[in-house]
Amino acid sequence: MKQLALLALVPACLLAQTAPVQTHTLDNGLKILVQEDHAIPNVAMYLFFKIGSRNERPGITGISHFFEHMMFNGAKKYGPKQFDNEMEKAGGNNNAYTSNDLTVYTDWFPSTALELMFDMESDRMRDLAFDPKIIQSERGVVYSERRTSVDNSNYGVLSEQLEAAAFTAHPYHWPVVGWPSDIEAWTMDDLRAHYKMGYAPNNCVMVVVGDVTADQVVALAKKYIEPIPRQDPPPPVRTKEPEQKGERRVTVVKPAQLPLVLVAYHAPATGSPDYTALEVADTLLTSGQSSRLYRRMVDTDQLVLSVRAQQRPTFDPSLFTFSLAPRAGVDPARTEKVLYEELGELQTTPVPDSELRKAKNQLLAGHYRQLKTIAGRANLLGSYEVFYGDYRKLYTAGDDIEKVTAADVQRVARQYFTAQNRTVATLIPEASPAAKKEVKQ
Amino acid sequence: MKSVFLMLALGAALAAAEVRLPKYTREVLPNGTVVYLMPKPGVPLVSFQIEIKGGQEAEPVGQAGLASVTAALLRKGTASHTADQFSNELDGLGGTFRASRDEQSTTIASEFLKKDFDQGLNLTADAILHPVFPEAEVKKFIGQAIDGVKAAKDNPQAAIRLYARAFFYGPDHPYGRVEDEATLGKISRDSIVEFHKQYYTGKNMIVVVTGDFEPAAARDAVAKVFGAAPAGEAYRWQTRPAVSVKAPRLLLIDKPDATQTYFWIAQPGISKTEPGRTTVELANTLFGGRFTSLLNDALRVNSGLTYGAGAILDENRLPGAITIATYTRTDTTEKTMDMALDVLKKFNETGMTAVQLASIKAYVKGTFPTRRLETSDQLANELSEMEIFGLNRGEVDDLFSRIDSVTVEQVNASVKQHYRPENLTFVVLGNSAKIRGLMKKYSGDVSEVSIKDPGFGK
Repeated sequence: MKQLALLALVPACLLAQTAPVQTHTLDNGLKILVQEDHAIPNVAMYLFFKIGSRNERPGITGISHFFEHMMFNGAKKYGPKQFDNEMEKAGGNNNAYTSNDLTVYTDWFPSTALELMFDMESDRMRDLAFDPKIIQSERGVVYSERRTSVDNSNYGVLSEQLEAAAFTAHPYHWPVVGWPSDIEAWTMDDLRAHYKMGYAPNNCVMVVVGDVTADQVVALAKKYIEPIPRQDPPPPVRTKEPEQKGERRVTVVKPAQLPLVLVAYHAPATGSPDYTALEVADTLLTSGQSSRLYRRMVDTDQLVLSVRAQQRPTFDPSLFTFSLAPRAGVDPARTEKVLYEELGELQTTPVPDSELRKAKNQLLAGHYRQLKTIAGRANLLGSYEVFYGDYRKLYTAGDDIEKVTAADVQRVARQYFTAQNRTVATLIPEASPAAKKEVKQ
Repeated sequence: MKSVFLMLALGAALAAAEVRLPKYTREVLPNGTVVYLMPKPGVPLVSFQIEIKGGQEAEPVGQAGLASVTAALLRKGTASHTADQFSNELDGLGGTFRASRDEQSTTIASEFLKKDFDQGLNLTADAILHPVFPEAEVKKFIGQAIDGVKAAKDNPQAAIRLYARAFFYGPDHPYGRVEDEATLGKISRDSIVEFHKQYYTGKNMIVVVTGDFEPAAARDAVAKVFGAAPAGEAYRWQTRPAVSVKAPRLLLIDKPDATQTYFWIAQPGISKTEPGRTTVELANTLFGGRFTSLLNDALRVNSGLTYGAGAILDENRLPGAITIATYTRTDTTEKTMDMALDVLKKFNETGMTAVQLASIKAYVKGTFPTRRLETSDQLANELSEMEIFGLNRGEVDDLFSRIDSVTVEQVNASVKQHYRPENLTFVVLGNSAKIRGLMKKYSGDVSEVSIKDPGFGK
């Protein structure tokens, strides 16, 4: 049996060894990153528009996500359905995602379809169509997505409530998919204004990875995208979330087999010096069956089916959230108490070197796994470019992880994992003893 | 998200005239273990994928879940590692290890940095060949798995799949024996030890190594470790005819708080080794296997009734199902079910055009490399599937020419045969109080369960 103290290093420099990236910025401000890779005859083209639910306001919540859908519903040259029809006919497929901060379009296709993709992407960036009938139909689709991911998902419904409670002022208060009444109500004027604000070339980073050359990509971008004019960028998000002055609690009672508990702490934005130390803390606590919370809560005490932590990349300070799935018959309050005990341990006792080494190895290897596919690299390069302001931060991400010390972990645990800074959301199955207590109160 | 698609086991490139599997070797060790080595330099990672033939098919009647419980417990204590030691060593290397079973095999897949080849191999093999299944770990895991059944019922999309399998195949078919609170409760340490002893043997094992490694050294290391397993008895595959359904039947699952209705509509399909499978795969892609498919176009794009509609084509050793899967808000249940059935009926009657077939061919070829051939783990899957299903490298190497050779007449004959509008199996999950009356429209044979009832069906 190997001793943990002898754990070898996962070399941090591996991240720097990914193939070179070439960059070009068009006259209209669109930045392009290209990484050539000819292993398979395919291309991943990702467009990161820096617009998300944080750029919305009450009354139009969910409109960024709605646009993510509308961008597939026809423009000037390629009409309704044609984006998908032409792309699939050329051997490609696509998807898109919206977050609090970004709307990202993800195209995967054979390299023979490269010019077609530039033609279609530029068409919808410049000349999206706004057909009232299609807008009405797409509201139904988005509402169905909301019903699936929120209303009929215990985790979805609870995390929506959690975020609404944790953020009282900042736009992270509302859900990316939007409040139901807003989905039903936004107007044609809202849509046009939002499109103009978000979908300008100067608000976009394009990443192309795969069977292409940088010259080819830049030439096509000049031909198709450079003529699209700049627009004023989205106005800055001014509102800052005031410091939380005490624990907040939310309860959702609904029919369910098992309860759920979410515990969220306000945490710094991506790119802040503490972000990486919190990533290391996350790994120590929840990554793998050797992690502290898995061992204590899933294995030894058998309190939960699973325990996870999430810290997602964001422009503004966001949340570090633990998700606990209590076992049948376990009081959710007990799972919470044990979580706080373990966080207290992290605050009071420095992490042993061997355990810190293990967590760093897991993080480094995990980063590394994202480089296996052209899609993974396109996403990673683009994410670093938009969240850190420079894709080259990816190359030094390994060093940043290496630099985190036991004292750093202890410091961020003390600073962020406090009772005053936390919001707790609990889903209680209807008809359970806990639910009856809730009703009486 | 724009869409969450039901991805099928197929995919392919307009760009490349054809695709070929990278170079690999296949060797049978004296104890019967089949070893594949496929070096693929690039990202300095190495993947080990070990298949144990049998899977769900090998689980004894009444003990559904035995293969998956056995797989999950492999790492929970071995001859040379306690469960904690195993996890610490694995995580310390930044490695991954997962073990699960499907219809025909248990798959153990691990991945390590290139420099940790030997340690990764030994750790993986230790779990597979020398687990001790401590009684306390067995008890703990089965308790978790029983709660896991409850958790699955809080996720309607996961739950309906389990109900649909149990209902479509029935209790006399191995694929219809879905693990639940009762079957998991019957699994003992003795049955796990016995299952491991019987099936985790040389003649029943496939070891696939892909990624960045030195072939000669790897060959010797793998042969030494896995060659030491007892030869055992080769697994005898079961044979079953396709499920036969004589009249429409319907299972309704009541979830009173549901605000949308989830439904699956199934009919008998094909096996993985069906000679006409490429043609059926093309047909299914047009019917419900891509964003612009007939189902998604009608139910989502044209009418906004759902976030997504698709068709699932099972491809396992035994003939499976072709299933329409979607959901809609409770008050549009009838409209959506009728529309799905209408798409099916029209597809059966008119099939597809030459233009549609050309688009489908390009799509299946164009998406194939990223879906099946890009990473070491995808390539390991290709090799292990070949071995398990008794296929050969022509599965990949000849795929594009097989696709190209399919004619409109052939694909439409296949549509007529496999996409039939009668004698369907319906599984509907939703608020029964609001949709119960509607169900007799689709079948004279309606049964109903509550999602709160134990198990996955009557």
